[in-house]
Amino acid sequence: MQKNALYILLADDDEDDRLFFKDAFEEVRVQTQVEFAFDGMQLMEHLQQPDVILPDVLFLDLNMPKKSGKECLAEIKQDQRLKNIIIAIYSTSSSEEDIEDTFVQGANIYIKKPSDFNDLKKIINEVLTINWHYQTSGLNRDNFLLRL
Amino acid sequence: MNWIPKFNSSNSLRVIFVIAIFILLFLSSVAYKHNRDLNETSKLVMHTYEINIQLERLMSAIKDAETGQRGYIITRNERFLSPYLFSRDKVNTSFIALKKLTADNPKQQKNLQRLYKLIIQRFVSFENCLKYSEPKSYDKRRLDNHMFGGRILMENIRFQVDEMNDIEKKFLQSRLKKYDQEISLGPVFSISLFLAALSFILLAYRQISKDIERLKVFNRKLLISSGLMAESEKIGKFSTWQWDLETNKIDYSDNQFRMLGCEPGDFVPVKETFLEFVHPDDKEMIAKSMDDIIENETLPFVYYKIIRPDHKIRYIKSTGKLLVDRNGSKVLLGINFDITDEHLLNIQLKERNSELEKSNKELASFNHVASHDLQEPLRKIQTFISRVSDADKALMSDSGKDYVSKIEVSAKRMRVLIDDLLMFSRTNTTKKEFIKSDLNELFENAKVELTVIIDEKKAIITNTKLPKLHVIPYQIEQLFINLIGNSLKYSKPNVTPEIAIECSKIHSAEYPELLDQAIKKFYKITFTDNGMGFDPQFKETIFVLFQRLHSKTDYPGTGIGLAICKKIVDNHKGYIIADSTLDQGSVFTLFLPE
Repeated sequence: MQKNALYILLADDDEDDRLFFKDAFEEVRVQTQVEFAFDGMQLMEHLQQPDVILPDVLFLDLNMPKKSGKECLAEIKQDQRLKNIIIAIYSTSSSEEDIEDTFVQGANIYIKKPSDFNDLKKIINEVLTINWHYQTSGLNRDNFLLRL
Repeated sequence: MNWIPKFNSSNSLRVIFVIAIFILLFLSSVAYKHNRDLNETSKLVMHTYEINIQLERLMSAIKDAETGQRGYIITRNERFLSPYLFSRDKVNTSFIALKKLTADNPKQQKNLQRLYKLIIQRFVSFENCLKYSEPKSYDKRRLDNHMFGGRILMENIRFQVDEMNDIEKKFLQSRLKKYDQEISLGPVFSISLFLAALSFILLAYRQISKDIERLKVFNRKLLISSGLMAESEKIGKFSTWQWDLETNKIDYSDNQFRMLGCEPGDFVPVKETFLEFVHPDDKEMIAKSMDDIIENETLPFVYYKIIRPDHKIRYIKSTGKLLVDRNGSKVLLGINFDITDEHLLNIQLKERNSELEKSNKELASFNHVASHDLQEPLRKIQTFISRVSDADKALMSDSGKDYVSKIEVSAKRMRVLIDDLLMFSRTNTTKKEFIKSDLNELFENAKVELTVIIDEKKAIITNTKLPKLHVIPYQIEQLFINLIGNSLKYSKPNVTPEIAIECSKIHSAEYPELLDQAIKKFYKITFTDNGMGFDPQFKETIFVLFQRLHSKTDYPGTGIGLAICKKIVDNHKGYIIADSTLDQGSVFTLFLPE
């Protein structure tokens, strides 16, 4: 693993989405290390290893088999060791209910999966340049959903 | 508690009767007294006359003696001496009678005594006259003296007798005068009293007949109302029972028997009778509520089942109340309603309702899942296209490029459709939180949302002041966006779009379409534009989902926007109507409850 590179983890069961994600990161200028979990169960198993390196940002899909994104979010927030991971919800859904729930559970930002590759790159750029300390302290329901 | 209407039997009747009876009692006592007085007086008259007669007798006896003596002295015939000899006895008899008659009068006794002395003296003078008239002892001078003395004595006796008669007469007169005084008032007084009593009795009679007339009316009313009651019980499928707690007597109305599946009067109800009909499931509850009603005086509605003798189950709703009348006697009144039909209908309704709820839920989740899950592949198609167009367009043939761009347009349209569908389903399914909001603010937000198109079309939007209402804010904002957006979209080419929003307060009575609403006061908000309008025959259909009046090439759209508007207004228990004249612009009118 490269030093100084941002460590990004994406939990998504959709192969295409992982591909778009990987491609987009490769085109972004910031040095990143991107890894994937294929579902919620795998994600939690990975994070619960004793000597695991925690990601700088965890992108979490909501609709996953075996264990949904919301369940993962709840477990992470209850775990003392994991609860400070920056979590970006990354979902097709933009329903009020999902946004509200994940906000209440303590996610840091909500990203609706874009339908344009260029938009995806913009979003990734945006997310990577966020000052999380600043963002978290000023977080509210209105700026929780990322708008381009 | 005055639950029994008072029958006003007149108290005056009683008073009149008592007065009449007193008058009659008084009258009879007066009559009795008069009668006694009369009796007394006649006795007194008799008494006076008797004394008078006896005195006359006395007088005549003495006169007889005198006449006899004279006859004898003149004729010397012994026969003339007999009246003289009898006269002594006669005098004595009368004298005894007189003594008895005047026993109560000391003055008369004294007079009698004096009379007696005079009579004795007279008889002594008779003896002397006889003695001096005898030829042997004839003495003319002495005879003359005694004859003369006898004459004087006779006068004295007469005087004495007259005096005694006078006294009696005077006494009688005074008594008669007193009596006359007493009864002189009598006739007028007693006749007037009698007339008074008569009039009182007549008055009482009138009152009685009046009361009887009233009673008759009451009675007839009572008969009619009890007949009507029995009929209403039959028609309205309810029944009543009364339980007199004093006498412990229970009365069932005829319909109560019928409700229990019996004929009226089939049995004599006691406290436990009713429980025998109650379904075993409910017996305990009903027994308890019967006890409770005595304690609490009222019974909230209870619902239970009964089993009729023919084993049919009926559903009953009951209530009751403890009534206390003026005399403090307690009557328990119970009312039972046969709600079997309603109950069965209710069960059906509930079943249908839950079915409906289920299918509604399925539909909502289908709608949500479909549009949600449809997004995923669509998003990928669009993303892949965006990648294709970026990297490979240069290498493609012209027709290939054309196809790709057509795929792109179609995918975009599908995205709009899915987004709108999602929004439509969300207006229905998401939580409906009503917050008091300033509609002016929501209106400004909507305008901000539409800034690009407003600027592009140079539209003029004017509005009057909007109210503050309890609404779902984001939905009302959406409503404003859709309505203004609609007007802008269908504006006339080359004409500056003008949209006027006006608000006023109205009462539902003024608008027939609002009459069914429970709420009466509404805000009426109109959106008037100068756009192309539409054929008024479509003013209902434009609110139906997917209904479009224009081809999608001229005016892209999904036919969902106005359906969402209608749904939002429905959510607010409001009403939306549209009207238009082709080429003249349209008016959308919102009615939102205050």
